Amino acid sequence: MRLLRLGGRRAWSAAGLVGAGVAVATTLLAVALGALHGLDARESRTGWRTPAAASPEETPMALLRARTDQVAGRALEQIDLVDPRPDAAPPPGLPRMPLVGELWVSPALADLLRTLPAGELADRYPTATPAGVLGEAGLTRPDELVAVVGRPAGDPVLTAPGPSDVVPVGSFDRTEADTTVAGIYRQLTYVAVALMVVPIASLLGASARLTAARRVERLATLRLLGASTRQVTVTAVAEVTAVATVAAVVGVAAQWLLAPALAHISIAGGGWFAADLRPSPLVSVAIVAGVAVLATGAAIGGLRQVVVSPLGVARRQQPQHARLIRLLGLVGGLAVFWIAIVASQGGPAAVAGLIFGVGVLALFGSVSLIGPLIVRVLGRSMTGRARSVPALLAGRRLLDDPKGAFRPLAGLTLAVFVAGFLAPLTTVIAGEVGADDGVLVLQAPAAQADRVAAAASARLATLGVAARIGPVTAAGGPGGTAETGVSAETGVSAETGVSAETGTTAASGPASPGNPGNPDGSGARGTEDIVAVPVLPENPADRDRVRTALAPLTPGSLVLTRAEADDEEIVLVEDLRRGTLVVLVATFLIAATATGTAAAARVLDHRRPLRLLRLAGTPLAMLDRARWAETVLPLLVLGGVALALGLLCASPFASAVLVFSPSGLGLLGGVLVAGVALVAATSAASRPLLRSVTAGPGRED
Amino acid sequence: MTVEAMAEPPPARADEPPVLVGRGVTKRFGATTVLAAADLVVHRGEAVAVTGPSGSGKSTLLHCLAGILAPDAGEVRLTGERIDGWSEARRTALRRERLGFVFQFGQLLPELPAVENVALPLMLGGVSRREAVGRAAQWFAPLGLTGLEQRRPGQLSGGQEQRVAIARALVTGPDVVFADEPTGALDSETGLRTIELLTGLAARTRAGLVVVTHDAEVAARCHRTVVIRDGRTIAGVRA
Repeated sequence: MRLLRLGGRRAWSAAGLVGAGVAVATTLLAVALGALHGLDARESRTGWRTPAAASPEETPMALLRARTDQVAGRALEQIDLVDPRPDAAPPPGLPRMPLVGELWVSPALADLLRTLPAGELADRYPTATPAGVLGEAGLTRPDELVAVVGRPAGDPVLTAPGPSDVVPVGSFDRTEADTTVAGIYRQLTYVAVALMVVPIASLLGASARLTAARRVERLATLRLLGASTRQVTVTAVAEVTAVATVAAVVGVAAQWLLAPALAHISIAGGGWFAADLRPSPLVSVAIVAGVAVLATGAAIGGLRQVVVSPLGVARRQQPQHARLIRLLGLVGGLAVFWIAIVASQGGPAAVAGLIFGVGVLALFGSVSLIGPLIVRVLGRSMTGRARSVPALLAGRRLLDDPKGAFRPLAGLTLAVFVAGFLAPLTTVIAGEVGADDGVLVLQAPAAQADRVAAAASARLATLGVAARIGPVTAAGGPGGTAETGVSAETGVSAETGVSAETGTTAASGPASPGNPGNPDGSGARGTEDIVAVPVLPENPADRDRVRTALAPLTPGSLVLTRAEADDEEIVLVEDLRRGTLVVLVATFLIAATATGTAAAARVLDHRRPLRLLRLAGTPLAMLDRARWAETVLPLLVLGGVALALGLLCASPFASAVLVFSPSGLGLLGGVLVAGVALVAATSAASRPLLRSVTAGPGRED
Repeated sequence: MTVEAMAEPPPARADEPPVLVGRGVTKRFGATTVLAAADLVVHRGEAVAVTGPSGSGKSTLLHCLAGILAPDAGEVRLTGERIDGWSEARRTALRRERLGFVFQFGQLLPELPAVENVALPLMLGGVSRREAVGRAAQWFAPLGLTGLEQRRPGQLSGGQEQRVAIARALVTGPDVVFADEPTGALDSETGLRTIELLTGLAARTRAGLVVVTHDAEVAARCHRTVVIRDGRTIAGVRA
């Protein structure tokens, strides 16, 4: 610490660089772990909506059906509690069990009830006046729309068409959301965390080595003067550990402060409670401790040569070779990845993402291992072919210290790996998203379809809403898509006379009230019985009015468009897109920090020869060109290798050729432009530092 | 300038115009006047030692004469041409093309082999790599460095490293070589051998040599000594 305290402005500058790198890395690590914490918290808050079923001999607390309705273009979670026992323990967020006929709503839905006309929302419920407001304990996010409705025994909601099941509630005390989608989000988050953790660790390592590298010659001098191995290690490591620990605390605090902003990132249909995104105090302490240990380990690694051979380091006898044995790392990484793929496909779904994440980490490790080797080969080639001073300097530097030269590029290389992994996936994702055609679907038993259509026309005419109705189609059958479900020729405006095209057939099959179909026909509730009566409001703004008005025609069922009925899937697809972007942005943020930090560090490390070169008449631009040459060519080659491995990583999910689709090429092009721009920016950012350390005749070191 | 072209050093001739002239050179850093109207004249083939106590302004004088710092007053002429008012870019080119430098330590690029360190100024001047390395290699034998061409600086002794630096300073055939404490990091015996090599080679290549040093024995190896105190040159002593 005394070395730092007495080290002058440059010592503090270097410590500042270390601190900045470690703080950013820690913040991102906390963000990644905070996302996992957020998912846990969300599941804990919504576990009651998929409650534990009562045993056959047990009297259920209520029959619960959870579905997703729509209002004002937003998802509205509707929880129907049929025949609730008033004395039973209520769900989280409610002070007591809702009574029959009662409506409990989330604060955001309460606002909508106040602001929207009753015909667009309130008329869907048994009462327009909520009995109370749900507390945060029962909500996934502050702006979530939730309605809990108490209904009498035998309510039609139990038999209405739709994909969700009716659960006889044994207990609401459940902290895990037992849904497939929740599982998918968890697995995806594991993969995202795996994609981000290695670059973060790499940034941590690069940052921690800065101070060690800066001080290596002085420490070697201490060693020459007789300081013991322990004394030298403690001298250098204490400084790094202290700086890293302070920076880690700052990083965790930054994540804590950023949580409200991060809470706006919409995943699974909306934002978050900021508190949910903050890792627990125990995890926060573990993050700080882990970062300090990682930084210390990296610093010790950087000092090993000082301790082992002070003469060699003091006089830089040994070039820092990257050995060919690193190729074994690539082979090992590929083998682990292959095993992980096989295991994740054959193993339990609950851990598939985790296992795949291990495979991703293995390939990540491979990239990090062979990076310095590639740099060394490039350095040899550049040195052999160099005709200009910048090319010669760049080639020699790459050859002299391949690991050091790779360090500024590691983040970007891994970012390209991530882009290579995600580019084909975005193409797949893009193909999954369907447009909302605005056609609302009334689901009715086949025998009643004509009557329902006529009633719908009459009701809309009464309200003065223009809409086209029919023809009726078999739910989910051929021609049953919403696009073809409405015939402009046969649809008649409700304003000019009620008429519905009812000339189509209902599918055959036994009626099963407890197993109805759903708008897209994907449900397991006897879709053969149910037909779809399409209704297209001529004015899209009337959608909520129409669905509210028509809901009573098919009691208990929801009136949704096919896209709205697929809301969960569409939201998942959009989340994948958003998640891809978030991971890419985060990875590039890490890369930018790592590249900038390492570029500045290299200037500091080489400041004396650089200054003397400049004093002897070397133009600053030439030194800059050398820095550019030693960065761009390796980056392009390393990027190519990382891209190939990234595509390999995506191969279990998507064909690599998809990367040539417009969205894939767009993503990769964006990454390439961003990468080169980043190198240019970091190079430009450290130019003032280069100018500063090479300017003037000062003797300071 | 190749090694073959070297000849015995001609004696410094008083009637030959000086290669380097500093008149009334003044430099201030804030309120502190480091140089106060210092004068220095150097002829071709002549070695001038600049000595004086620490903080007297020796290095600042060297930096002003070499175009590293722009003086606040006075003038600096190189082969008769006034250079003190030149832009930073012109002074940079001047240092690269017409001046040579030897510093105390750490001046070689650690990544480059010795021969490429010597070739660097030639390449910076536009000479092809092959020719630059060929010309650089010719300096190794006269400096007793034969066989060390491909060694990296870290694999050389302090004296060897300093001799490589001397070769680098002279390889372009500069008008003047500036040496700032060139023996400061060497033991006395190696230091004296090094300064003898430097003065000898500078004389043979007809380069003026300015040596800033604390060491009286080093100063004694030069043709003339200029003492500087409180920023003023107070004496010129013929060795």
